[in-house]
Amino acid sequence: MLEEIKSIKKAPVEEYYVPGHRTCAGCGPALQYRLVAKAAGPNTIFLGPTGCMYVANTSYACGPWATPWMHTQITNGGAVASGVEAAFKAMIRKHKTDAEFPNIIVMAGDGGTSDIGIQALSAAFYRGHNILFICYDNESYANTGIQASPMTPYGAWTTFTPAGPVVPEGKKLMPKDITKIMAHGHPELKYLATASLSYPIDLMNKVRKGLNANGPAFLYIHAPCPKGWSFPADKTVEIGKLAVETGMIQLYELIDGEYKLTYKPTKYKPITEYIKYQGRFSHLQPEHIEKLQQFANQRLKEVGVEVEAPTITT
Amino acid sequence: MGVKKRMSGCVATANAIRLADVDVICSYPIRPYTGIMSELARMVADGELDAEFILGEGEHGQLSVVYGAAAAGARAFTGSSGVGVMYAMELYSPISGERLPLQMCIADRTLDPPGDFGSEQTDAMCCRDQGWIQGWASTPQEALDISLMYYRIGEDPRVLLPQYACQDGYFVSHILGEVDVPTQAEVNAFLPPYKNHHVLDVKNPMIIGAQIEPQMGPGLQYQRYLAVEGSRKVIEEVHAEFADIFGRKYDPWIEEYMTDGAETVIFIQGGHAETGKTVVNRLRNLGEKVGLIRLRTVRPFPTKQVREALSKFKAVGVIDNSVSFGIACSAGILLTEVRAAIYDMGDKVKTVGFVAGLGGEMITHDEFYKVFKKLKEVVKTGRVEKESYWLPFEL
Repeated sequence: MLEEIKSIKKAPVEEYYVPGHRTCAGCGPALQYRLVAKAAGPNTIFLGPTGCMYVANTSYACGPWATPWMHTQITNGGAVASGVEAAFKAMIRKHKTDAEFPNIIVMAGDGGTSDIGIQALSAAFYRGHNILFICYDNESYANTGIQASPMTPYGAWTTFTPAGPVVPEGKKLMPKDITKIMAHGHPELKYLATASLSYPIDLMNKVRKGLNANGPAFLYIHAPCPKGWSFPADKTVEIGKLAVETGMIQLYELIDGEYKLTYKPTKYKPITEYIKYQGRFSHLQPEHIEKLQQFANQRLKEVGVEVEAPTITT
Repeated sequence: MGVKKRMSGCVATANAIRLADVDVICSYPIRPYTGIMSELARMVADGELDAEFILGEGEHGQLSVVYGAAAAGARAFTGSSGVGVMYAMELYSPISGERLPLQMCIADRTLDPPGDFGSEQTDAMCCRDQGWIQGWASTPQEALDISLMYYRIGEDPRVLLPQYACQDGYFVSHILGEVDVPTQAEVNAFLPPYKNHHVLDVKNPMIIGAQIEPQMGPGLQYQRYLAVEGSRKVIEEVHAEFADIFGRKYDPWIEEYMTDGAETVIFIQGGHAETGKTVVNRLRNLGEKVGLIRLRTVRPFPTKQVREALSKFKAVGVIDNSVSFGIACSAGILLTEVRAAIYDMGDKVKTVGFVAGLGGEMITHDEFYKVFKKLKEVVKTGRVEKESYWLPFEL
């Protein structure tokens, strides 16, 4: 069992995601990876579907992990993890290895989770494999040069959803809610939560709860992307906080079938506070911003928070 | 000595997997290979085999599951047929590139459209260039035997490659044959436990499948090329050792049937060879100088052995039970490979291609007779008027 981390000072000093990678300055996914690896510790195997955390981490045939790591196709993180888990179960039972059963963590991007990888993810959870599947959400296919994923927010500019005179809002579709898709309909699910890199203690403890759950655990981690969202590289943590403080992202756990917020700001800020730093939203007209605000309110309502729509100031 | 039983190709393969003490199996239903998985599921339920039997979400998932299992150090097995084989295509190169010696049984099947359950080798032949060991069994006995041999070949530290153990759908997978099922002790003496040095091990952390830059690509591809080429020696050694332990002697590359003194031969792969042999018998009784060559291993392709064997004949009819639309010589894959293999011999050995048995049709006795008749004509005239024929439409 991995114990609860009470404060940042009591977090383990050992690092298992170490220097030597080539992520962008201010990379949110890299920051959260470091926290996840620290929380999980040395008895861990990471599986990395194609995405930024594959491409930017493993250039030139090397990588920043002090634990075993293996690439999977972007399609199949859940299925490869199922095979790794089944292998350890069988080999331990048949005395073919003296290994201790490891933490098996899939570190998948939003595309590898909610889009092309959703079949393998759902199947792994249906079958009840003892794995932790993390979706680090930087809200686009970023390593290929910022293309829309199903989790790209409404109104965001990407190279596949550019804003123009005919399509003034950029991305027209509302994003998928992968966490809620995973929360229902998988009877073997043992733990589910959302986290943000801007709340590191909460994040690390959710990793540990997921690993302690002894069954399929799903953790969504919001991971701002300076390059893809077009904000200054020193603002990653601040943007992550604003996402939570405006209600665009909600931090919760699923307990006995109900969503329980693990952090709630005393007063929600209008989403303009969140989007104003981000170039990807700079083309939005008031009616688009209003739609985005309604989206945030709706997501909050789904986890039990009724907010009056804050006044939008543009 | 083992026990002789009557069983289908599917059940024979399942027995090989049981005897190989496989750790992780991943299933998904598609005819005709499904019979292998239902038999393995029964063995697990009845306590005859201790393995994780995983219900895959599709063929892509199946190959992904066994990929992970093999990377963790387990002996793993999966299989498929037809469009299922194609759906998993993304995984074949990563698996051989990571040098993970898992096994997939393909009981071949026609590709859509339209839906057709029948046997055809196109599905598995489409996968031939992915760096796997590959060959066809022509009987249930051989299906069992190649599964055991392929694990041994693939897991050899000099090889470390995955294997497609193929059998014709229905004609082998569902036809009962006499099968000598070896004892566990015999198999244990032949097939040692799977040990791979590059596995997921927290005591020896390793990064598997990192990105590379283009300049590192040629070297990696060359290593895989060397592994495939290097497997030739191991394939021969393993077949010899198999014969010593189990008493069944196979030529690793080609089976020659009644080729002594033959002028014309059929070159064929898989279970249809058994039909062809009966035609050879009859024609031999009538005094015709005919024979048959059955290709056993298609990857690596036995260029040298095929060249040597075919140099003895005047005309060779290459029967393809697969299609490659628009291919050179307008027939199937085996014709082009055979022609490439014997190119150095110039015009000495004439080759004619025949596409036959598509969609699960039998290659009938009548068609084999027609092929031999055409070959005789070629020998007589010394000319190949048309380099390939689609049966039954063009002959």
